[in-house]
Amino acid sequence: MASRRLTIVGTVARHLIGALPAAGFGLAPGTVRRTAFARAWRRSFEDLGPAFIKLGQLISVRPDEFSDELVAEMQSMQDAVPALPAAAIRAVIRSEFGREPEELWASFDDAPVASASIAQVHRATLAQPYKPVWGVELPAGTTLAIKVVRPGAAESIRADIAIARSLMERVARMRISRRFDPIALLDEFALTVDRELDLRMEGRFADRFTFDFRDDPKVVAPRTVWPTTTARVLAMEFMTGWRLSEIETAKAHGVDCYALAVHGATAFMRQVFVYGRYHADLHPANLFVTPDNTIAYLDFGIVGFLTDEERMNITQVMAALVYRDPDRALKYSAKLGVDVPADRVEVVRTALGGLLDGTYRPDGTRDFAHFGLGFLKLLGENDIKIPSGYGLLIKSLATVEGVARALYPEIDIVETAKPFTTRILGQAMGDPARLYERIPAAIRAAMREIVA
Amino acid sequence: MTDDVMRFFAAWMLTHEAADEGLKAAVLRGDEGGPEGMGGGPDAFVDGLAAMVAEEKEKLKRDLEARARGEEVSIETQPDPALEDLRFEVGELRGRLDNIESLLETLVRKSGS
Repeated sequence: MASRRLTIVGTVARHLIGALPAAGFGLAPGTVRRTAFARAWRRSFEDLGPAFIKLGQLISVRPDEFSDELVAEMQSMQDAVPALPAAAIRAVIRSEFGREPEELWASFDDAPVASASIAQVHRATLAQPYKPVWGVELPAGTTLAIKVVRPGAAESIRADIAIARSLMERVARMRISRRFDPIALLDEFALTVDRELDLRMEGRFADRFTFDFRDDPKVVAPRTVWPTTTARVLAMEFMTGWRLSEIETAKAHGVDCYALAVHGATAFMRQVFVYGRYHADLHPANLFVTPDNTIAYLDFGIVGFLTDEERMNITQVMAALVYRDPDRALKYSAKLGVDVPADRVEVVRTALGGLLDGTYRPDGTRDFAHFGLGFLKLLGENDIKIPSGYGLLIKSLATVEGVARALYPEIDIVETAKPFTTRILGQAMGDPARLYERIPAAIRAAMREIVA
Repeated sequence: MTDDVMRFFAAWMLTHEAADEGLKAAVLRGDEGGPEGMGGGPDAFVDGLAAMVAEEKEKLKRDLEARARGEEVSIETQPDPALEDLRFEVGELRGRLDNIESLLETLVRKSGS
């Protein structure tokens, strides 16, 4: 533990010292200095392995807590590490099942398909037909993706989380963060990582996603093969196509980018506004597209959940965006746990009004990221605590917008949300409890109009 | 007394008439605005919503007429969501049992070796 602490401190110190010239030895202008140090932090995290890469990913979705420069650097962090030898992966499978991969599947490919900080993916083929939780039977010979947690990953991450507490205090002292609660961030981090380390959670969510989109053949997720799945090994359908990061190749093969952007954004809105559970780790590498314009969602390691009440309040915040209504945005954000102190309400309201007015781009479409991320930043600047789920959702919506606009620059993501928000608001209007509450006032207003 | 009652019902009828005319006008405006028009502010949103409800009403009317003629209606051809949910729950349970069975086999194999 002590040696690991030394390694961590040494790695961070080495990168920070290396950044000094670029930062003008602390004398460079603020942005240049912060960018240089943010890059040093990112490189340190990449060198320090899984726990820090995951921590960096968490920082990348918290613009309310960290500087723009650090968030941008952490967003560009690569979660691609050298592959482990097949023998190490085979050892994990053997320890989980007490059998060789060839006894579990008809074939197992030793060459990895992907390798990230927590897990490595190999290709295999199904030995016997399997009826998954939902949908048609998978025939024998179906190609599978076998995701295996890297040996020692869980232990090293948990040990690093313990050490990271002291590092967090250093981060706070270096004033990289505007307002920072290291223990809260670590608790959130530990919870996220624990979920990601148990691959069965990912399998269950992927199955649920398949069920949720059963009426939409253009949106799919890999289904889980449960007899050969454990907490450390996940067997699922192998998805073929192009990652959105390879969109130019997809375009060359005739993929309809406009349809893809609209359908992808709509599918995300459906997750948020209809089901209240959504893929919260969307980036171009986690989305596949096939030549027939089917979108495949991969890697359900981070998932966001919303209660019915939260969905309603989020809908109202969206409506506030449509109507440029800062009071509505503040009212329903408060119901989501954004507690603006009374002496700050006016300042925040005015700034929010400015943000809402600046939401339109020159082409007439709305810029959700401008509003969403700007709002988070505004709250951060005013020392207002943001519930992590709210921050995660806003960041996810901003990411979906970014992905959709990369495919089709004229898309207006707020438009894709409108049918869902309209329906939810319409349903709320018909809610008997609400009618009971509002009808007397409505009748009084109608009578006043009549007798006026 | 009779006059009061008549007056009350007259006011009631007037309220209905005004509301009905208002609704018809809102549906018309909503239809003219189309889906794009709903972003024009709270009033435009209500107009758009009224148009959507009117569309649903027409569909319901068609379904009821079809049902009166003894025909199958669209709403009945869709799978029952509760039944679908149940089927998924059963599928999920089966998946968990598959998983537990596999775990059990592994434990037996390990304890035997």
